[in-house]
Amino acid sequence: MSEFNNRIAAQRDILICINTKYWQEELFGLSRGAIERWVSVNQINSNTVLIKLVNESAKKLFFLSNKSQEQITEDYKMLSKEVSMLTKKIQNEMSLIK
Amino acid sequence: MNTHIYAFGSVCRGEVDPSSDIDLLACLSKPKMEYDPEKFSIYSHDRIKELWLEGNPFSWHLHLESKLIFSSNGSNFLLDLGKPSTYSKSLEDCKKFNQLFLESYYSLMQSSISAVFHLSCMFLATRNFATCHSLGEGKPNFSRLSPLQLERKLPVTQENFDVYVRARILSTRGYGAAISSSEIEQALCVAPDIIGWMSELLPRGVSHE
Repeated sequence: MSEFNNRIAAQRDILICINTKYWQEELFGLSRGAIERWVSVNQINSNTVLIKLVNESAKKLFFLSNKSQEQITEDYKMLSKEVSMLTKKIQNEMSLIK
Repeated sequence: MNTHIYAFGSVCRGEVDPSSDIDLLACLSKPKMEYDPEKFSIYSHDRIKELWLEGNPFSWHLHLESKLIFSSNGSNFLLDLGKPSTYSKSLEDCKKFNQLFLESYYSLMQSSISAVFHLSCMFLATRNFATCHSLGEGKPNFSRLSPLQLERKLPVTQENFDVYVRARILSTRGYGAAISSSEIEQALCVAPDIIGWMSELLPRGVSHE
């Protein structure tokens, strides 16, 4: 699979994990705007571990900004372990707040 | 220390609507903290040169649809680079976006959890498929609506396609009205038409791998 599709798949896994819980409104993506909207609509404290993990994952996956126009340039392989660990931490965090 | 700032994308095509933002490119000879990556696509001049050599779709996008706004040394860096190399990865890229569409579609078929995100990825896959295909055919189209503007256009109404567009804007900017479950169903209903359209545009036997 391409690195670009791998990054999307990693984002998909994180969002499914988070959105499995009932929220007033789902998290629609790992962009800055989507995260801010989700935090605001659901009145989540932005200092929680979960929000920090979500922001860190978004940064690693380069989705925090919607300005990256290139599709196939970043070396995802180097980051995949870090992202897997963050995904596990988010899963743990979600299990605590269910 | 040279700096070049360009506008590119929808604003250069005159495609402006309430959800549009202005795409700005900053070409910097060294990193500058004052350039917010939320507002600019930031590249070094060397990286841009590499994209030109690769014939990357983004280099063609900039070559065909960008306007110089500021130059610290009076030159037009992108114009001076001339034409990018021939884009040779149309088939490879179209297969990749076909794959992304199918993965997102199957995820949405399995569960409605993260439906907006899945629709957003289906939009991204469809638009990029159309753009890469059009570029490969020598008739580049970088519009958000490129699938509806090709000679062999997507057999989906603008109304149905707009649900995908809205999902993309919600996912990348957090902007817009939420998408209802009936709109999600409406978008799902036309997904097989999108898959069929991609299959027709790909050489026989390479889709659904």
